[in-house]
Amino acid sequence: MACSREKQTLINQYMDEEMTLQETKQFEEHVNSCAECKQHVTELKKTIAIVQSASHFEAPASLTANVMNKLPKQPKTKKWQMWMRKNPMIITAATFFLIFLVSLSAAFGGEDEIVVRGEGHFIINESERIVIVPEGSSISGDLLIRNGDVEVNGEVEGDVTVINGEHLQASTAQISGDIEEINEAFEWIWYELKNFFTKVIPLGNNDGSEE
Amino acid sequence: MDSVVKKIVREVKRGNQDAFAELMELYKDKVYHIAYRMLGNSHEAQDVAQEAFLRAYMNIESYDENRKFSTWIFRIATNLAIDRIRKKKPDFHLEDKVGGTENLDYYSQFASEEELPEEQIVKLELQQWIQDEIMHLPPKYRSAIILKYLEDMSLKEISEILNLPVATVKTRIHRGREALRKRLK
Repeated sequence: MACSREKQTLINQYMDEEMTLQETKQFEEHVNSCAECKQHVTELKKTIAIVQSASHFEAPASLTANVMNKLPKQPKTKKWQMWMRKNPMIITAATFFLIFLVSLSAAFGGEDEIVVRGEGHFIINESERIVIVPEGSSISGDLLIRNGDVEVNGEVEGDVTVINGEHLQASTAQISGDIEEINEAFEWIWYELKNFFTKVIPLGNNDGSEE
Repeated sequence: MDSVVKKIVREVKRGNQDAFAELMELYKDKVYHIAYRMLGNSHEAQDVAQEAFLRAYMNIESYDENRKFSTWIFRIATNLAIDRIRKKKPDFHLEDKVGGTENLDYYSQFASEEELPEEQIVKLELQQWIQDEIMHLPPKYRSAIILKYLEDMSLKEISEILNLPVATVKTRIHRGREALRKRLK
């Protein structure tokens, strides 16, 4: 027991580490000369050491699962929303792909007009849906025909691509690049994808044909 | 840590149950441990810990994000534990015997076919003795002592968890400390 009530307060302050350095020094001097206080402080220190030696337990492994099972069930839409919020990239990719498909299907067979892309002299026969590159004339660069056939009698310095049509080639024709016919939606998608990527991601194989 | 917890709590508030499992993983050991020290047996501790997390989930909207989540969940857990002690023993005195089943409970946690090495038994007995002594404290001193000396929390934190002024917390720690000292000497 502390030697006085006043000392009991001091002991508490001391144990709570609420004393200034000087107060601590003074108090320790007293404790060293007072058997009662000394014993009291020693006992308290021992008590705290014992309590603090109590080991820490881990919660049972099943605790989380037990609680999760008891949580109110969420409606499916909520879960779906959560999934979407968690995977924004997948949703974005899916959305883009959908837009891509829709615009493609609109482009493919959506319009009947003949579209020709290329530089040079050519004849468009609207009623026959045929594009003719006459003998003696040349197309500098690639030639692209959509929604029509093509008859090459002259010269094409690049590739010939026919979408939704066929190509006819005369013996006099000179085509430096490849000839490609795209008549299926699937092929068309592939072609667009290829184009898209080669435009967006320059792969460094610029062989001088461009620009 | 705090910003991580804040982020998880926000997810939970949005209705993400998986995020709540993450939150539980962070705090379940401490919550369980406090409940165990308050109640003295593993079954009740598990019950209280589970109930505390369930209530936290149900009332997550009322949790103020500017305060520590730990303080909030510990408060729920200590309140539940104290409620349970009150229901179990309406008149609790310092000298009450806590009941003879404690030993059985404690050892049953470690139930094993093989015999425990002697060293381990001594350790278990020591641990059991400490818990018995804690159980002899009245609940209001018990919670203060556990939070202070077992969970190593500041007086401010304890006062927030127990919803008491710091001065009252101090008094409870002093009295709890004195009561333990008298028993342990």
